[in-house]
Amino acid sequence: MRNEALTLTNQSKSSLRIIGFLCNWCSYGGADTAGVCRFRQPPLLRIIRIPCTGRLDPMFVVKALVQGADGVLVSGCHPKDCHYAVGNFYARRRLELVGRFLPFIGIDPRRFRYTWVSASEGQRWQQVVTEFSALITELGANPGLGDHVEGFFRKESSRQT
Amino acid sequence: MNTLKTLVESIWDQVDMVLGWHPGYDPLRPVPAFVRDRKDIASLIWNPLCAPNLSVYLAKSFKTPAHGEKKIGILAKGCDSRSLTALIQEGLVDRHRLLIIGLPCPGTVDPEAVKSARTQSGPITGVSFGDGWVELMCSDGVERLPLDQVLARRCQRCRHPHPVLYDVLLEDAMPRPVPKDPFAHVLALEEQPLEARRAFWLKELERCLRCYACRNACPLCVCQDQCLAESRTPKWVTQKDTVADKFLFHMIHTLHLAGRCTECGECERVCPMKIPIGLLKEKTAQIAMELWNYESGTDPVARPPLLSYDASVTGL
Repeated sequence: MRNEALTLTNQSKSSLRIIGFLCNWCSYGGADTAGVCRFRQPPLLRIIRIPCTGRLDPMFVVKALVQGADGVLVSGCHPKDCHYAVGNFYARRRLELVGRFLPFIGIDPRRFRYTWVSASEGQRWQQVVTEFSALITELGANPGLGDHVEGFFRKESSRQT
Repeated sequence: MNTLKTLVESIWDQVDMVLGWHPGYDPLRPVPAFVRDRKDIASLIWNPLCAPNLSVYLAKSFKTPAHGEKKIGILAKGCDSRSLTALIQEGLVDRHRLLIIGLPCPGTVDPEAVKSARTQSGPITGVSFGDGWVELMCSDGVERLPLDQVLARRCQRCRHPHPVLYDVLLEDAMPRPVPKDPFAHVLALEEQPLEARRAFWLKELERCLRCYACRNACPLCVCQDQCLAESRTPKWVTQKDTVADKFLFHMIHTLHLAGRCTECGECERVCPMKIPIGLLKEKTAQIAMELWNYESGTDPVARPPLLSYDASVTGL
């Protein structure tokens, strides 16, 4: 199944991976719109749907990067457009804080990005994904915390072989 | 001139108990004291060795008052009073239950620094203090060290040596002057390249035992009965001793304290492996200052920045 998926998307086990945390109401819809409109996107992104960016624990970002995800993209409703009225206002502060904290612990802050995309902005979604994927491709693989990590990214594939 | 004893005597009628320090097994390490009996007041001490932050016990052990209980008296240095303020801010402790005895602080002594600064080797039998110096007594004689040389790192960068919140004040010591750049240690690490910082934390955190002493000593780590570090659903960290798990545990501690940490430095003081984990929290405090101009534990009615938002801010 996994191998099939990898062949279909023209990827190998060592391909770069971006984890996308998308809010259910806007950005997930926006990504869907981009798909429905058949906008071409790089295949690095793995989407995790969350109910609201307010659900996003900054630990999600840190854990993904520690375990070797090559990039983390968080996207939600535009401020003042939150389905739950204020979820993204809280999220905004947390995201800004964690973004500034990452370089202190030795994680490249460019690997983390947050943005706001509404459900109708398929075009914008394509642009965000394309730009971020290009940046991650340029940065290359994230060492994470090296060989110490047992996560589901690189280690899992090496266990299978 | 008040002494600690007369001050505590004068407020005794209003309180059930006084949290303070009394001499421990080692003259360099006074231990927390819970004085419930009037005759024990005489055993209370206050000097630069009284390092433990007593506010840690409030939210954890004395959260709910027994019926008809009077107040709890608590001795608070500058840093401790900030922790108390932060607890009050978040509604974790009721201000009306506290009678805070403020202690202007000349800085606390790090016993490890004393150990390395001494020239004598005999066991220390007594310690006395004066203006800017500490005198150690042992079988080899008496040795006098300057206080600045043996101060804990947290005290070298202390911005609030004078208590920010108190009911009565003990005016016997001069508070330490406020340093020019309290974030100098954070900046020094930030000047290094990204790779060096990563290597620094991997090397430091490799030593972590995950004894959770830092968490237990933290006055603001209040959800210990359901701490993420020990939870299996969700399982954030495994039981393995990899540096990634140690790292993630410290990330949990740091990010849960982001915008709340009052930089009392207890996490670093109690660390048996001497890992400078205080730096992580200092960085979050610095970010909170930059982004929201917020200093935790200085205003009992302020709302912590991550528990609030400002809808008028536009931009990304």
